[in-house]
Amino acid sequence: MSPHGITTVAKQEFRLRIRAGRWRWLLGIWFAILLLFTSLLRAALGGFTRDDIVDKGIVIYGGLMLFVLGLALLVVPALAAQSVNGDRERGTLATLQVTRLSAADICLGKFAAAWGTALVFLALSLPLVGYAVTQKGVPVGRVVVVTVVLALLLGTVCAVSLALSALLSRTTTSGVLAYLAVFALTIGTLICFALTTAITTEKYTETYGAQPCPDTSQLAKMDPILRAQILGTCGRPTPMQESRARTDRTWWLLAPNPFVILADAAPQLSPLSAEEKRRRANGGDYVQDARDLDPLGGIGRAVRDLRKPPARNVASFSYTPLTDTRSAAPKRRPVWPYGLSFDVLLATLALWLTTRRLSTPTRNLPKGQRVA
Amino acid sequence: MALRLPTTLYGAPMTEAGTGVVASGVRRSFGAVEAVRGIDLTAAPGEVTALVGPNGAGKTTLLLVLATLLVPDAGQVRVAGFDPVREPDAVRARMGWSPDVFGLYDNLTAREYVQFFADAYRLGAAKARARTQELLELARLTEFAGRPVHLLSRGQKQRLGLTRALVHEPQVLLLDEPASGLDPRSRVELRQLLRSLAAGGTAVVVSSHLLGDLEELADRVVFVDRGITVGEHRLDQLPEGTVARPWRLRALDPDALVAALTRNGYDHDAPTPAGVDVRLANDEAAAALLTGLVRDGVPVVSCQPLGGALEAAYLELTQ
Repeated sequence: MSPHGITTVAKQEFRLRIRAGRWRWLLGIWFAILLLFTSLLRAALGGFTRDDIVDKGIVIYGGLMLFVLGLALLVVPALAAQSVNGDRERGTLATLQVTRLSAADICLGKFAAAWGTALVFLALSLPLVGYAVTQKGVPVGRVVVVTVVLALLLGTVCAVSLALSALLSRTTTSGVLAYLAVFALTIGTLICFALTTAITTEKYTETYGAQPCPDTSQLAKMDPILRAQILGTCGRPTPMQESRARTDRTWWLLAPNPFVILADAAPQLSPLSAEEKRRRANGGDYVQDARDLDPLGGIGRAVRDLRKPPARNVASFSYTPLTDTRSAAPKRRPVWPYGLSFDVLLATLALWLTTRRLSTPTRNLPKGQRVA
Repeated sequence: MALRLPTTLYGAPMTEAGTGVVASGVRRSFGAVEAVRGIDLTAAPGEVTALVGPNGAGKTTLLLVLATLLVPDAGQVRVAGFDPVREPDAVRARMGWSPDVFGLYDNLTAREYVQFFADAYRLGAAKARARTQELLELARLTEFAGRPVHLLSRGQKQRLGLTRALVHEPQVLLLDEPASGLDPRSRVELRQLLRSLAAGGTAVVVSSHLLGDLEELADRVVFVDRGITVGEHRLDQLPEGTVARPWRLRALDPDALVAALTRNGYDHDAPTPAGVDVRLANDEAAAALLTGLVRDGVPVVSCQPLGGALEAAYLELTQ
């Protein structure tokens, strides 16, 4: 493996891509869709003249980034899913393998070209990101983190698609499987989470504190049956059967989901200061704070809540839990480090597999695959 | 590293250690199919070695093993002195290979194509530029250098493919059916090019079915059939055939010729405008036939063997 080798392959792949496709059109359509989305979202937030939501930028930026991710997941698998087996079909792979380029050179060069192309798509969204920032409320730190995470996620999709193109002989099969892999990461993780969560739902016994017994004068006035009932339970702890979903055991199923990673990795916004709240309230009219509509923060908080172990029962009316040893509410802890590590690991594994499959001389030839 | 390998199979010349191609006892199967069951081949520097055999004899598989693409199941292989399995990069730096069927990058120009492989072989920028120009001239593609590859003719594409294998001035050149699809003129040029490379010290291995071409090109020939080497000979020392070969006779009076052949019990075909084909065991038989025909007053114009000595040996050795 050498920088020269990787650059040689990457440059070549880039050149072939640029000449083969109608990129100007594709990129143009991509940008037009993003522009349309941003305009509609902005309009939905109160039109271009009214201003009853403060810090609209938060909502526009969050919505746009989730949309960019969704749309990119539709485009990016195609960038690498036929890279290796396509070359093999065209008879240009073996002639490359007998040069002094190593298998890793070819693998990483192809990966760099695919990822680079994906980043061009990502870069096209930046003007709209800039617009969102002008709509106030988006910290620069959030833009930087989200962009980096988005780039890493697209890289993962490129790497997995590339590996599929190396492992499978037919370009159509690898193309379909690349999209299925994206489906598994996005929808599949949701389905798995939903189904397993139902399974983990458990019954448990919560013991509530004793209800004081009514005094004798009250008891005397009561209906005898009710009196017997109350006397049977009052004055001693009451165990009760309840059920709860233990999502703290299954939250990790959601972690590899790109949308979850992106949203949760976005740094949480700092809440408004008391002074700012007062200032805004002074106008008299109700002012909606965009923090409450923050799509990234919202998803992030939701998955962090799923990760929390169950709180030790919430007291209702006169009941108070007897044995609350834990501190009042468990803390929200981030989910994205697990998801992002998983995805980066997946990408590394994919690139390793691709390199292995590209290594020659070949000992075992998959069925139906020609060497040259 | 001193290599002591059996290099004198079938009377082949000793190859200097560290050069050319030495393969012995190569075996390789794909699943249940044994493509190569024991091929021996030596190719000395400065010589063109022809690899000849029927389709499916294992020629392409053997070349893939030599070209560092396939691991053989068994056998000793050295290409330019290195083991293609354990030292593939050392082999690749010294070996050029062109498969029977290959793709070109359609969207590149001819010049970009050569330039890319010059980079892939790590020639260095200045050397790569010079070598590209040199090869485009060699392949007579200079005037098409700026043209996209997909607009080149088949022969031009074939020549461009050959430049790829030559880009790093390899010591060993492995060509699988390089002349397929070439017009007669291009074939002559290919022959001249390969001869000049051999004269420059390259060990050239060519697999081909064009026996007539090989006869004028090769120094040595290795016959393979059903995955094994069945003969390895210098071209000027081909074994005398035992099987009758066809000769073509032409006479001013074809009817008299056919009558004379039939009368004397020769195994001959029906006459065609090109003449009458007769199967004869050897040169003596041909001389005897001619003497007889002249004596009988048949106006014979010409008598020549069909196919060369190589074809005769090929038919003899392979089934």
